[in-house]
Amino acid sequence: MQLNKVGISLIAFFGLAGAAFAIVPILAGAPGEVAGILASIGVIWVLVAGGLLWYAKRQEKKAARNDWIFRQGLRGTATVLSAGSSAEVNEMPLMSLRLALNVPGQGTAEVKRREIMPVFAASRMEPGLVLPVYVNPQDPGEFVLVW
Amino acid sequence: MSDVQSVFGELAAARGLEQLGAFDPGPLTPLLVEGKGAPLRPALRGMLGEGVEGVVGHLAYKRNKTFRFQVALTQVPAATAFAPRVFCIRRGRSTRDDEFYGFEARHSKLWTESTALNERYEVATSPYQDPNWLRQLFSPSFVDWLGTKPPAAFSFELAYGALLGSVEADDPGADGLAALCEATAHVATRVREECEE
Repeated sequence: MQLNKVGISLIAFFGLAGAAFAIVPILAGAPGEVAGILASIGVIWVLVAGGLLWYAKRQEKKAARNDWIFRQGLRGTATVLSAGSSAEVNEMPLMSLRLALNVPGQGTAEVKRREIMPVFAASRMEPGLVLPVYVNPQDPGEFVLVW
Repeated sequence: MSDVQSVFGELAAARGLEQLGAFDPGPLTPLLVEGKGAPLRPALRGMLGEGVEGVVGHLAYKRNKTFRFQVALTQVPAATAFAPRVFCIRRGRSTRDDEFYGFEARHSKLWTESTALNERYEVATSPYQDPNWLRQLFSPSFVDWLGTKPPAAFSFELAYGALLGSVEADDPGADGLAALCEATAHVATRVREECEE
């Protein structure tokens, strides 16, 4: 997953508005109870913004790692053994895949992988489909599935 | 709709295409997914261009407003092994206006190596697409063709061997539909050639 323009706007909104709710009433000398309620709302909003930012950074790091595996990894194939979905994220199926990895020099291995895919890609994940993979040469369990 | 019917009837007569009434292509490409199962209606089957068989039809679907496209669908199965996904979309095209998610799946990456191509289109591929194959596909002559020959609103989506050419004209006329068929067939032939290289 990656942050988009809507996500950046949401983080900016919750962060700035939350900070304003937390600070402005106190600076403006609002009554204690009102300032307390607004500050609580403000802190929650700031925490929401912080959580979104943390998630975005984590995904960015994961993407950078995948990019490295793509550039440095061993190219092999993954044959879909089974595919199914029981959940959706942002209208996209969360696919559970069982794959047979075949990497030159490393033999074959059966692995499981969960991927959020657009509908047009998810609908093609059927047993027998062969997809390229890039495997970390130091850790065969770490791989990028090209779908 | 009657105007659309008559335009498709005219095209069927001119090019000897079979009238299907309606055709359900399934969720093969992003544009067809946006349609949420809307069939192509009317639809014609036959030769889109030299050596390229497919279906041409009218796609209409509703989000916050109604979107209308004329589309031509064909298959290039060999492309899956080289490029699971290549989307060459006219700049400024809109296919939905009701999406407000802050995060999106990292399922595509812009391909920006050709300035000439990027003036008119936004080209997106899988983030892990082999760039060499794309460089060969988008040869200078193909880029030149894409920039000058297809109908003004032309875009294409290649996903797992399904190739969908499209224009968003409400009433393209029989000539416009024929140009869409020819452009889609040209792209299919180019992709097939590159797969055989």
